[in-house]
Parts: sequence; structure tokens; C-alpha cells
Amino acid sequence: MNMIARRTFLQTSALAAVAAAIGARGASAQEPLGIALVLPSPLGDVGWSHTLAAGLDPVKAAYGDAVKITLLENIAEGPDADRIMNKAVADGNKVLIAGSFGYQNGAMQIAKRDPSVTVLHASGFMVAPNFSPFAAKYFQGTYLLGMAAAALSKTGKLGSVSAFAIPELITSVNAFTLGAQAVNPDVEVSVVWVNTWFDPAKEQEAAKALIAQGCDVIFSNAQDTPSVIAACEEAGVYAFNLNSSMKSYAPTRYLGCVATDWSPFFKASVDAHLAGNFVGANAFLGVADQVVEVVDWSPDIPADIMARITETEAKIADGSFTPFTGPITKADDSEGVAAGASMGDAEIVAMDWHVKGVVTPLPQ
Amino acid sequence: MTLRLVRREKASTRMAVLAPLLALLAAMVLNLLLFLAMGKDPAAVFHAMLLEPFSSWAGFSEVLLKMGPLLLIAQGLAIGFRAKVFNIGAEGQFILGAIFASAIPVYFPQATGAWIWPAMLVLGALGGALWAVVPAFWRVRLNANEILVTLMMSLIAIQVLNYLLLGPWKDPMGFNFPQSVMFQYDAMIPILLPGTRVNVSLLIALFSALLAWAYMQRSFGGYQFLVGGLAPKAATYAGFSEARAIWLSLLIGGFAAGLAGAAEVAGPIGQLQRSISTGYGYAAIIVAYLGGLHPVGIVASSLFMAALYIGGDNAMVSADLPVAAVRVFQGTLLVCYLAAVTFVRFRLDFGASVEGGRV
Repeated sequence: MNMIARRTFLQTSALAAVAAAIGARGASAQEPLGIALVLPSPLGDVGWSHTLAAGLDPVKAAYGDAVKITLLENIAEGPDADRIMNKAVADGNKVLIAGSFGYQNGAMQIAKRDPSVTVLHASGFMVAPNFSPFAAKYFQGTYLLGMAAAALSKTGKLGSVSAFAIPELITSVNAFTLGAQAVNPDVEVSVVWVNTWFDPAKEQEAAKALIAQGCDVIFSNAQDTPSVIAACEEAGVYAFNLNSSMKSYAPTRYLGCVATDWSPFFKASVDAHLAGNFVGANAFLGVADQVVEVVDWSPDIPADIMARITETEAKIADGSFTPFTGPITKADDSEGVAAGASMGDAEIVAMDWHVKGVVTPLPQ
Repeated sequence: MTLRLVRREKASTRMAVLAPLLALLAAMVLNLLLFLAMGKDPAAVFHAMLLEPFSSWAGFSEVLLKMGPLLLIAQGLAIGFRAKVFNIGAEGQFILGAIFASAIPVYFPQATGAWIWPAMLVLGALGGALWAVVPAFWRVRLNANEILVTLMMSLIAIQVLNYLLLGPWKDPMGFNFPQSVMFQYDAMIPILLPGTRVNVSLLIALFSALLAWAYMQRSFGGYQFLVGGLAPKAATYAGFSEARAIWLSLLIGGFAAGLAGAAEVAGPIGQLQRSISTGYGYAAIIVAYLGGLHPVGIVASSLFMAALYIGGDNAMVSADLPVAAVRVFQGTLLVCYLAAVTFVRFRLDFGASVEGGRV
């Protein structure tokens, strides 16, 4: 993660002179622009909240004292979050980043009431002129890690400890499965839905259950703690996760990380807010946007597979390949995507079925 | 030499008044060091935590909003606590109340009429009471400890909530996220103070305080409870039924917590979701004891706790304080208060221990 932050820092600081000039004109005579980031879990060293907060570092670096960033961590979804977001806006913050799906209704009310506030909302589906939902195309990275997983698995059984059965996470599991099938068509993927973003004990139990069933590569899907990764290292099976690298928790068995770097999106949004031309839109960001990148690849991945992964990664980046390209069969044996066709963003963000190969049925 | 706490023969009235202020001062001094070490501006923190909840109407209305469920649940629990029936499961009863209340808007999302929200409150209260029937029955008939059963029933309640939200009650348009539909207008409790989120349920909570006062301080039924709690054997000789006290304690506690749960989903939340309670059921236990288990004391303590919560949120937003430091401040304030109150009623005795003496 540090490496990514540094990379984007260099990128953005190159732009900083220009941006600061624009920003300074808007803000020099006034108060600094208040940016409030509301986070659902404690601001740890790894995970979702950490990555969101890190995404604001380049904004701070570019604008310096012209912005004031307030981090509000561990805020429960519901009335408390609504109050805290309202308070943040009442205190003069003009850019509100609502870092969890469950903040949607409260954040949307604020956006509607006060057009001068720009709201960025994680993982949602509502859009307004001053309200952009944002999400990462994790599936682009999990597809690549699926390829690596299938190459390293001896049992042909892969597992995932996943938070909630929402489309964003379902697509990650599906792409992981499709990537694995590209290397070994017979792999099976089992999923445990733990229904929590942050519960170390529960996540660890789920990981152990999957390992006991013979899964020897585990995908920690949207878990904000390193407990799955640590449990896998202990059991000697490979594991990977999303958002920020947890390699230090699994020095020998870390497969890689589908890292997210929100700074290009945050930076562009703040720039647009200051320039007065922010337009709310669905921001579905991936490898091409430099938001998603796989880092910390395991050295154990065979060279021929790694070469295929790198090739696929390049195709995903230039848009010539998407993991959800037909023919894809659903887990219930009906047709998911016809041969030759591929799913568009609108279909992907609403995906509510598993591909064939995922053996755990979706919770109903 | 042993150190003992000895009850004072007469607690000083002056100290009783001064104690909370001294506790506040002690907590501020302790945390002043912490804030300085963290490089935060202590004045900004104290202003945000202690003054802002009261300095603006918008801020104070949020205190009142937070106070409502705490007050309601604590009043219900205190009645049982005085009879030494320990209902630790208000959290679960709160959740069941929210679930029962949500049944109406979930199954009749198009229904209109002024009857909807009152019906939801009634249904919620019944749901909470129903959840308390299990521990009451087990305690009376099987002599199962109600502390354990109520606590474990809360864990079951969370699973029931999860099941409903992940399955039958999931919003079909909600992208598979575990939450119900947004409630229609008539399923929301009317706002009491225009421009704020405070709704009519605050009046219900205050009315419950009045009822609790009348019942516990002025009625024979309440007297039976007290005797049962203070001297169980005497109560039995006097013919007061222990079973009745247990049933009533748990049902009243469950009823109040269920009502609070209903008011929460039909109030500031407006839908059934996973995080409907941020620990109101457990916080209310603290509120009940801070208020000395007395209906009037609980009104004050629920206001105090609510202000403490809102102040903590303010400190995060306005004074840039991390959540952990906020919890430390809230914790030290509570500990200092409890210590101060203890020393008003007790004194430290450095004397030699009395043979066979008991503290």
C-alpha cells in the first residue's frame, strides 16, 4: 500500500502545481475546503477504512492548507451516522465521503438539502447532481488471482470468506472462479458469507472451516481484518485479500492483493468541486482508472502462469478483455452470458447469481 | 491494616451536590494530559464534548433523540432490578420490538392512515414482551438464571434479525443488501419539534417515567417489588408471590425495550436494518444504575448519558479526536462519577479489620 501511495503521490505531485494554482484561486481568500470522510470500521493499518483514508493523502499533499480533512472512524450505520454526517456538514465541510453502503439514505438527504455539498458514497446505486456513488472493479483483480489460485491449488478446491451477498462481492467471487477455471476448468469454489465487514473471530472460524473442507487457497473477500490471512498462513494454505496488502500477516503464503487506490477519484472529485463543475455520476473504477491494481504477487506462482496473468492484466487494462465474457453458465446450469457477448457495467453492478463452479448456493 | 469501605452514617448533602462536579473536573484533568500528549487542543475538545450538546438547539435536539430509547428501556429495566430480577437482554427485546413493528410496513408497504405508526408501536412493545416470556417462563418453572437466558436470547434476536433481512424481508430493490424497504410516510412517528429529528416517542418515554414513578413509589404492587428485592424471605412470608414479580419484571422490561425498538425503526431510521441498535439495551443498564434505579434519577441519567454520546460524536467531528480517545474520555468520566458517588455514601477505613466483620 505504501508503494502505491508513493507512486500516486509522485504522480499527483507532478500535477500539484497546476492543481494548487486552481485550488488556491478558489480557496486562498476563504476558509480551507473541509473534507469529511465517514468510515464504518476503526482506522486500522490495513483494510477498507485504511485505504479510503489513504486515498485522501495525495489530495492533502496537492492542496496543503487549502483543504482540511476530518476522519470519522468506526461510525455505525443508522441514526448515529446521519447525525455525524449532518454535524460534519453543519461544521462547514463541503465534501462528504460516506464510506459505507449503509450511509446511503442519510448522505442522500444531505445532498438534496444542500446543493453546495458534494457527496461521494461508497458502493451505492443512487445518483444526484451533487452525489456520486463509487465502487471498484475488484472483479478485474480477483480474476487474475483466480488464475494464480488454480495454478497453486493441489486439491482443486478454493474458498472465500465473504462479507455480504451483495452484487459487488458476488462479482468478485464469480470473477475469481472464472479466472481459476481459465487455468483448471474443474476447480470448485466454496463461499462462507459471514455477514460482517469486521469480526476477526468469525472470519477466522470461517477460514478454518473452509480449510477443513480441503480448500487450499482462500479469498478474504471484503474483510477488514487480517484474521483470514493470518489463519491461512498458520494452516499453510495460500490466501489473498482486497484493498490493502496484508503480506506481513502471511509472509510465506500471501498470494497477492487486489489493491485499491482511491486517490485519482478523490482528487478528481475535489478538483471538480473546487472548479464548480462537479457532476454526480456512477463511478465504477478499475485497472484502467488506476484505482485497482494487483500487488505483492507470490513468488510461488509458476512462471508460465505468471506470464499468462500479466498478459491478461494488460488486456483488461486496455479494455480488450473483460472477465465476464461469454459463454458463462450460471450455477443453476442456465445460460448466464451468451458466447461472444460480455456483460456491461450496468449488468455487473446488479449481478445476483453465481457462475457454475461456485458450489455454495447464494443465501436466499 | 486493611482498607475497607464503610458506609457513612449520614451522607453530606453538600458533597452529594459537589460530587458530580468534582468527578467532571477530575475527568477533565486526567484527559487534559491525554489530549496534550496527542497534540489536540483541549479547549476545542472540551467545548465540543461538554458545551456543544447544549449550546445549540440542533445539538440539544440530538441529545433528546438519543435520550428517548435510553430513558424508556432504563425505566423498564429499573423496575425489575429493584426486585432483583436482572434482565440483561433488553438489547434483544429492543430488536424484537423493531422487528414486530416493521412487520406492518414490510407486509403493507402501500398502506396509508394515521393508525399505522401507533399500531407499530403497540406491536413492537408486544414483541419485546413476548421475547421476555421465554426467560420468565424458564426462571419461574425451571429455575433457569434469567441473567444468562436474557443475555443469550439477545444473541438469538440478532440472528432472527439477520435471517429476516437476508431472506424474506430483504428489500427486493435493495441490491441484495440486508435491509428492508424504506417505510412509507404513515409508518413514521410524527416529528415533535419541527426542524429536528425528535419525534413523539420522546413524550412516550417521559410518560413512562411518570408511570414508573407512580407504580414504584406510590402503589402497593411496586411496594411488593421492593420488598421482594430487599428481603425475599420477608416477602414470601407476607404472601407476595416471587413468580409474579419475575413475570412482571421481565414483561415490563421487555415491553419498554420493545417499544423503544419500534420507536427507533419508525423514527430516525425509517427501515429495518442490521444496525438498528448501537447498544441501547446495554447502555440502558448503566443508565438505570446511574439513576439510582429511581424513576426521576433515570430521567437525569438518561439525559446525561445521551449528552455524553452526542458530545463524543461532536469531539470526533469538530475537534478531530479519534474515536478511541473519545471512548477513553467517556469511560473516565463514568468511572470518576461512580467513584465520587461511592465516596459520598462510603468512607475509606484504614483501621484494623474487625474479627468476622464483613464489608
